[in-house]
Amino acid sequence: MQPLRLIIACAFLVCVPAAALNAATGDAAPSAAQPAALAASGASPAVPAEQGIPHSAQSLGHQGGFITNSMLVTWIVAVGVILFARFATRKIQKVPSGAQNFWEWLVEGLYGFLESIIGSRLVKKTFWFFATIFIFILATNWFGLIPGAGTIGWGHQGEHGFEVTRPLLRAGNADLNMTFAMAMIFFACWTVWALQFSGVKGTFLHIFGPQGDSTGVIKYFMIVVFFAVGFLEMLSIAFRPISLSFRLYGNMFAGENLLEAMSNLVQHPAWARVVFGALLPVPFYFMELLVGFIQAVVFMLLTAVFTALICTHEEEAGEEHH
Amino acid sequence: MTHLILFGSIGGDLLKTADQFGLDWPHFIAQVISFSLVAGLLVKFAYKPILTVLAERRQRIAEGLANADKIKAELARTEALQQEVLEKASVQATKLIEEARAAAARVQEQETQKAIVQAEQIISKAREATTLERQRMLIELKREVAALVVQTTAVVSGKVLTPADQQRLVEETRRQLAA
Repeated sequence: MQPLRLIIACAFLVCVPAAALNAATGDAAPSAAQPAALAASGASPAVPAEQGIPHSAQSLGHQGGFITNSMLVTWIVAVGVILFARFATRKIQKVPSGAQNFWEWLVEGLYGFLESIIGSRLVKKTFWFFATIFIFILATNWFGLIPGAGTIGWGHQGEHGFEVTRPLLRAGNADLNMTFAMAMIFFACWTVWALQFSGVKGTFLHIFGPQGDSTGVIKYFMIVVFFAVGFLEMLSIAFRPISLSFRLYGNMFAGENLLEAMSNLVQHPAWARVVFGALLPVPFYFMELLVGFIQAVVFMLLTAVFTALICTHEEEAGEEHH
Repeated sequence: MTHLILFGSIGGDLLKTADQFGLDWPHFIAQVISFSLVAGLLVKFAYKPILTVLAERRQRIAEGLANADKIKAELARTEALQQEVLEKASVQATKLIEEARAAAARVQEQETQKAIVQAEQIISKAREATTLERQRMLIELKREVAALVVQTTAVVSGKVLTPADQQRLVEETRRQLAA
């Protein structure tokens, strides 16, 4: 039953084309929206750096300090999530209600979902990471949709009024440092879990060892083939943090740019700029709500599946043994 | 060698891309610390207490279900016992009723016999009393008739009768009445 769930989970991940496409072309969305924005504003397309949101997070203040706008959002979300969790669990009742009920529902739902994918033994060890990944990414993604994020900050008086060039708040996952940090933490945890569950030999055999029951000359041929495949697998494993981080970053960055482009699509006359600037992004806000959720699920599922793939053999053997 | 150059080229491109998207070590490490802190605090404040509560609740539910099964079995056993007791009681009650009926019939018979005997005794006593009363009345009547004969004789004969005459008349009268 568990391999079937793994396959379904993988199929689900493959069937999120928007996520994959957006991840592969992190700056494609703004480029699609740019012509319209440029045409409306009358700016020259020869200076795309002036359009949309910058690729990287910006420092707060004029002096270029260490703290960036995405770090600020990350900390606000972190403090908010921790305070809510503390509030929900400060007086735990036998019959839950309110915040405790919601938190129990979230934790229990995630636990059951992950248990169905990676098994009961593995989930006990790894639940903290996957749950944190999901909750933190989801909260950060949705926090970035709050009006004011990306629109309040420092700037200058431009052709069409005040233009924000350095926003106070930037979606936390629209910063590659954040997404890469999460991906690298996962990579470190994945390595530790693989060694804990499979051992050095088991992990090596899992990557390089031949699969199936072959005999004779075929067996030696398969050893060579699977050893070569192992190098490809190593390459794939090495690129996982990059694909994970760029997928999430690309989707969130593209979403920010899309909302920015929709807000600035109509510039003239002034009343139309106000009306359409407020109304046009609304459908895309709903889409970004969905994208934010899907990206949180995708990141969690992918990391869970990667972990299950390297640890499943030992776990299944352990379960059968018990 | 070609592969090394290729990997080197890919690595260089990756670093260039990373740099283009603002990836730098200090901010990367800061975010690693931020996420680790969030994870650690969530484990302490959110996951552990909730998972403990959920585990306890699961255990309580399992115990409750086990107790419910136990109670159900106990109830079934009690019901069976109750049924058995009721059946025994029913049998005993039937027996008691039959015994009571038999005893009542016996008592009724005895009382009836007693009543008959008492009635016969009463009738017998009444008959004796009637007989005695009749005899007493006959004696009284004879005495009265003898007195009337002596009185009538004295009036008719116009002489005073001596005690001997009176005695003789009385006896004569008694003798005739007895005949």
